[in-house]
Amino acid sequence: MRGASSKMAIWVLGLYGLYLAAPVYWLLRLALQSNQAILSGERDFTLANFAEIFSNPVWYQGFANSLTYVAINTVISVSVALPAAYAFSRYRFLGDRHLFFWLLSNRMAPPAVFLLPFFQLYSAVGLFDTPLAVALAHCLFTVPLSVWILEGFMSAVPRSLDEMARIDGHSLPYFFFRIFLPTIRGGIGVTVFFCFMFSWVELLLARTLTGSEAKPIVVVMTRTVSASGIDWGVLAAAGVLTILPGLAVVWFVRRHLVKGFALGRVS
Amino acid sequence: MAEIRLEGLTFRYPNASEATLSELTLAVPRGEAHALLGSSGAGKSTLLNLLSGLLPAPPGSIFFDDVDVGRLEPWARKVTQVFQFPVLYEAMTVLENLCFPMRELAAGEQQRRARDVAERLGIHGVLTAKPAALTLVQKQLAAIGKALMRPDVSLVLLDEPLTAAEPGHKWRLRQTLRALQADLGATMIYVTHDQTEALTFADRVSVLHEGRILQTGTPEALVDAPDHEHVGYFVGSPGMNLIDGEVRNGRALIRTGDGGVLELGALPVADGPCRFGFRPEWAVLSQEPEGLPVQVHATRTLGASRGETHGLVVAEHQGTEIFTRQNLAGVVPGPARVRIEPERLVGFRDGWRVGAGPAGQ
Amino acid sequence: MNRPQNNRAWLGVLPVLLIVAFSAVIPLMTVVNYSVQDIFDVNTRLFVGFDWYRETLRDPRFLDALLRQLGFSALVLAIELPLGILVARAIPREGRWVGLILVLLAIPLLIPWNVVGTIWQLFARPDIGLFGQLVNGLGIEFNYTAEPLHAWVTLIMMDVWHWTSLVALLAFSGLTAIPAACYQAAVMDGAGSWQVFRHVELPRLTAVLVIAVLLRLMDSFMIYTEPFVLTGGGPGNSTTFLSQYLTSMAVGQFDLGPAAAFSVLYFLAVLLLCWLFYTSVIASDGERG
Repeated sequence: MRGASSKMAIWVLGLYGLYLAAPVYWLLRLALQSNQAILSGERDFTLANFAEIFSNPVWYQGFANSLTYVAINTVISVSVALPAAYAFSRYRFLGDRHLFFWLLSNRMAPPAVFLLPFFQLYSAVGLFDTPLAVALAHCLFTVPLSVWILEGFMSAVPRSLDEMARIDGHSLPYFFFRIFLPTIRGGIGVTVFFCFMFSWVELLLARTLTGSEAKPIVVVMTRTVSASGIDWGVLAAAGVLTILPGLAVVWFVRRHLVKGFALGRVS
Repeated sequence: MAEIRLEGLTFRYPNASEATLSELTLAVPRGEAHALLGSSGAGKSTLLNLLSGLLPAPPGSIFFDDVDVGRLEPWARKVTQVFQFPVLYEAMTVLENLCFPMRELAAGEQQRRARDVAERLGIHGVLTAKPAALTLVQKQLAAIGKALMRPDVSLVLLDEPLTAAEPGHKWRLRQTLRALQADLGATMIYVTHDQTEALTFADRVSVLHEGRILQTGTPEALVDAPDHEHVGYFVGSPGMNLIDGEVRNGRALIRTGDGGVLELGALPVADGPCRFGFRPEWAVLSQEPEGLPVQVHATRTLGASRGETHGLVVAEHQGTEIFTRQNLAGVVPGPARVRIEPERLVGFRDGWRVGAGPAGQ
Repeated sequence: MNRPQNNRAWLGVLPVLLIVAFSAVIPLMTVVNYSVQDIFDVNTRLFVGFDWYRETLRDPRFLDALLRQLGFSALVLAIELPLGILVARAIPREGRWVGLILVLLAIPLLIPWNVVGTIWQLFARPDIGLFGQLVNGLGIEFNYTAEPLHAWVTLIMMDVWHWTSLVALLAFSGLTAIPAACYQAAVMDGAGSWQVFRHVELPRLTAVLVIAVLLRLMDSFMIYTEPFVLTGGGPGNSTTFLSQYLTSMAVGQFDLGPAAAFSVLYFLAVLLLCWLFYTSVIASDGERG
């Protein structure tokens, strides 16, 4: 019955898949070639680019720095967003709607706007060039988003669960940590995904708030470009490596992905 | 409207080890309101999808007016359906929804028909509203109206259409639907797991169980002469009481606990072990010593008339639960006897009513 | 809807408020403060009122960047929205392939933005890139570092590559929430694929599509990293968008006052766009009933 349309669907997915895959395939191919071979158009096969990254502390330190601030950011975002999202989803209170929309409006602020004040603020409090500075700066975007996503997932949990726990004599903290959080763990996974999705991929703030000490991998890559010619092979290899953490995270939340992209709001 | 015939319809899903439906044979005459009754897992939804054309059927198994429709698309079969929950096009008004299945008619004719049906359903006041503005009952009425719109419709399928309605509305909706069905002479197949709905709606009912039709008959026939134990048990609330015993010389006998033998009534069938069935309505507690000995556990009041309560007596005979439906005055827990109307007793062997089983039994 | 009133719930919101106040309110106040002063050094400041705003609004480079920005956002939205919906409709609703397809779709969203730029740089360069070589092989002289049109085509292709998945995943999650009965009813009504989309799917996708448009609108309006890596804003200024210009002003030239005024205008522009879109959706929703 759907023969014609499913054939069409396979074409659409196939062509789009090709479009998505082609640049990544090329990246992988260049990563496995030496720079001379790339420039001369020859073909060879080498793991030297990866070896260069794993043996050079600037590269692997960059990876470590990035993962550090991403982790800090995710922990801060989720832990402050949880109680706030619970408050928004379960209670009415003075100014709740305005507050909610004001939080979301922060998501609309261009990071470039905050460059200068962030630089001055974090320098003033002595956090410049630390992973914590980048993590806090990214909170500006990840916290409102986390509140929004978690609120959606929490509102999908019927309030009768709260009432039952009350009748059973559980305290609010016990209920919240032992009953409620496990119920929405899919939502927490999705929130982690979105925090990661922002903090791992961002460059502008990360670059501005770090010097030589906490330099993240994304900055290492751009600076290598501008130094003494470009080693395309190493650049490609670094690019391949930066895709891997994302792959791991998306694999981890794959079962909640669809619900997550509706931000918990699809029933 | 069309006559619907199933001829030995067997259906197995790809990769499934067992057939979901086997050897279904059924004829629904033009203009009949037919109910398909079965518990979940009986194969109702599969049969529904085969009838509507959402699933292709094997050739030579489904006929609409002698045309084999097994491979036809739903639109070509001219089938419409009302779903469990109201399904309407959200962005269209009620009137546009009603007119959508009549796209091939002239605009004036569409409007005339839509307004006529809306009037009968009592939703003519909300024709210009969007579905979102309607109550659940109004939405379902609109969905029913949409299913009845096509002038050349051959079959209207109803898939538990009253699930979403509140109990108080169900009766009225069912009556409206029944009246409209009779007026339009529509062939309808109403799928449900609720025996009350099936019995009160349909001219005839088919009981579906584990992929087979156990019996097709009028509501009276299902109550009085169930062809299968399961029909006896499934139809009626509560269902038929069943006791194991034996037939000897045309007499229905059971063993009592003390080694004696008790005669429940006459049953003109061959000698041998037999399971006897009787409905709660056909039995009453009595003080006379010759009835079925039971232990009365409790009573359930169902109503009262002329100052007397009546309802169910819950009793037990040698571990088997026995219900009677009667006047509850003077019923107390403890030992008692149950008198059964002897001529209504039904006998089952291998599940089938003696003399009624499928061919060969 | 019927949540109980409880002002102690503020306690739950407090940590978020503190964090956001620290990372949004203080910096924003700084920006507004700078935007009305002329700053020579830490101790020498001069209140100049709205001079910087006036200057920014008259700055032809700002206006050019704004115009390019609007064009870029409009173009990528016009491509990504229909393409995302098309892809979402092509994904099977169930079966063993669904999970894999979704994971593959999500990958571009998780690649660092500068790496996205690098990937496309490596892919599109005429000397070492597969795409650049292919187009040159067709006899078209392709060089995105020299030709503004080629730079734009490459940028748009990159953004579509990067972000269509977001639209597709949002639309797909909306599609999976549509009950099967709605499709079955449409099949029985003899509705074709287009009618199913128009009457069954689109009305039920409105909510997720609003989110998709809002996200793409604001994110495309803030784009910085990918063109910074790919084209560096060139050739000339042909791919310099608002964030590039602002960054070069603030970090490159350290023009605090004008950069701050620019920032405030920029933020307001994003808010205004989102507000315009949102209210027009609400208004047309109200019209339809």
